Amino acid sequence: MVSTDQKTDVKEKEADCPVVVAVTSHAVFESGAEDPDGLYVGGIAFPLLQALQKVNERLLKENPAESLLFDVILITTESQQQQESSRITESIRHHGLKVSRFCFSNEEDFMENLLNNNVHLFLTTNRNEALQGSQKGVLSVLLDEHTASCPTEQLRVLFCGDAVVQSEAGPALASKQAAQSFSAQIGKMRGRFGPFDSPISIALVTSRGGRESCGDALRTLRSLGVNADEAYCLAGVPRGPIKRLLRPHFLLSECFSSN
Amino acid sequence: MVKMSLEPVQVMSGQVAELKVAPSSNGDSAGSWEGKREFEKDHLGLTAKPKPVTGRRARKVEGAVFFPKPENAVTVAVSSRVLFRTEREQKVFEQQGVEEYLRYQIEHENEPFAPGPAFPFVKALEAVNARLRELYPQSEELFDIVLVTYNHAHVGIRLINTINHHNLFIERFCMTGGSSPIGYLKAWQTNLYLSADANKVREALTEGIAAATMFMPEKMTEVSESQLRVAFDGDAVLFSDESERIFKAHGLDKFFEHEKENEDRLLDHGPLKGFLEALGKLQKKFYAKGQRLDCPIRTYLVTARSAASSGIRALKTLRAWGLEIDEALFLAGAPKGPMLEKIRPHIYFDDQMFHIEGAAEMGTIAAHVPYGIAQKHNSKHNTSAGK
Repeated sequence: MVSTDQKTDVKEKEADCPVVVAVTSHAVFESGAEDPDGLYVGGIAFPLLQALQKVNERLLKENPAESLLFDVILITTESQQQQESSRITESIRHHGLKVSRFCFSNEEDFMENLLNNNVHLFLTTNRNEALQGSQKGVLSVLLDEHTASCPTEQLRVLFCGDAVVQSEAGPALASKQAAQSFSAQIGKMRGRFGPFDSPISIALVTSRGGRESCGDALRTLRSLGVNADEAYCLAGVPRGPIKRLLRPHFLLSECFSSN
Repeated sequence: MVKMSLEPVQVMSGQVAELKVAPSSNGDSAGSWEGKREFEKDHLGLTAKPKPVTGRRARKVEGAVFFPKPENAVTVAVSSRVLFRTEREQKVFEQQGVEEYLRYQIEHENEPFAPGPAFPFVKALEAVNARLRELYPQSEELFDIVLVTYNHAHVGIRLINTINHHNLFIERFCMTGGSSPIGYLKAWQTNLYLSADANKVREALTEGIAAATMFMPEKMTEVSESQLRVAFDGDAVLFSDESERIFKAHGLDKFFEHEKENEDRLLDHGPLKGFLEALGKLQKKFYAKGQRLDCPIRTYLVTARSAASSGIRALKTLRAWGLEIDEALFLAGAPKGPMLEKIRPHIYFDDQMFHIEGAAEMGTIAAHVPYGIAQKHNSKHNTSAGK
């Protein structure tokens, strides 16, 4: 049995690496829209970025020397946006978001960019981009309109258990490894906080199987160093209403669909 | 004024067959019901080593439904504190805080919990399911038992191990890690919610979900393992609390007067009416297959109303609702404890703590429905003498 600690008391021998999250400008800003000042208007991924920031703030509050933080980079392939790069940076600053790097690239080599930047999580609203990322072994999540109505004060991550325990075979193997290491990082971050009042909340849902599949999923998560806060074993009950109640920012499972 | 008889009157619809009560102890996890399901011989005891997770026994019901759709099933949600006994863990939580509580739970993960007050009720629901599956293998009209707990998912594995240990058929659960489960109760179209926490029960009631608070009695008398028995109080449980309001405000005479005047006017419905209705629907499925005498579900009305007078309005209301109740016991104010002790229900619903406590003293598993005017007057000194 893996023993778990709620708070990591042991000082890490080496500093933890930051968790690099790449998000496309399409996801961050509403395309075609601008506010009275000519700046971009917040889009689908907005609450998600705010939540990531909240996590960073709380992590630093617990430990000012914390290195396991989210490192957000913005990727844009739109040539127009690249020409107006100052508008992007202005918009980012105006909305109070912290982005460490901007990546301007064209469609051919934005995958290269992801890999070069050691991206752990790639967020996009474009299905093709998500597919490509996945094939390259980068954990890619397709965001949809549900993400827009998620809380900004707490990052809510939903693990889809039926997929977590799927057997190894399949073209998404590289992506699975990326998913596992990202999950481990999230688990570690979660461990910096107590059971209540945490800026990260981790939920597990198993849709099809009975209690055994949920139990297996809990054990698998635990082996990755992830302690779920909430667990729902649906055994065939439609997932929609539960998802609406949970309001996760994104789902983690073998495939990247955000349904 | 009607002369009150102190003799409880028993009114029964239909014949009552001689009921056999299995001699095994309450919550016997190794009990087999009529040998219709095979499983490994389990050994009792709290510190028994749990069965390995992979060695799960096969369900010997061919082609039957395991995961019924919520809209078809009668969903009964139980919290971990009423399904199992968690007093020790509660103490750790109260005295040492949540982190120590979670650590303790994980440390004792392979120790199954002992059965709690809702355990016999849940076992009886499963016995009914077994009979329903025999008669209607393709039907989803079954009891669906869902574990709903405020616990963090850390406790999940211990709960699953415990469910395995006791061979319970619970495949759906909901561990909310501290937030309210009400949304999930609604999403699962919950027909009945049982919890140890009165606040959560009240919240469910205001959302229109039948709910009751359960307590661990000091002793639990043996109950049938083959027949589910559910007993209900009348006012503020099956019916609204309108008559009780009259009684509390104006006294017994006014109450009788009011009931006589309104004899032909139906009482309004109470929070548990829907659950009685759901039980009735399942009962009819047995009747349809000629199993009225042998029906594994039996319902009781246990009311302080008296048969000759105020009870009439209650019966007329039930009839108008198309609800059958197998036995109606009009106690005319007599204590409910002894009658309940005779009936041995798996659960008895009442809105007054006085009756709950009286029932528990005699070993009956009672559940409090915190509904209606009685909640403002809930104290041991308040008796509902003769209605």
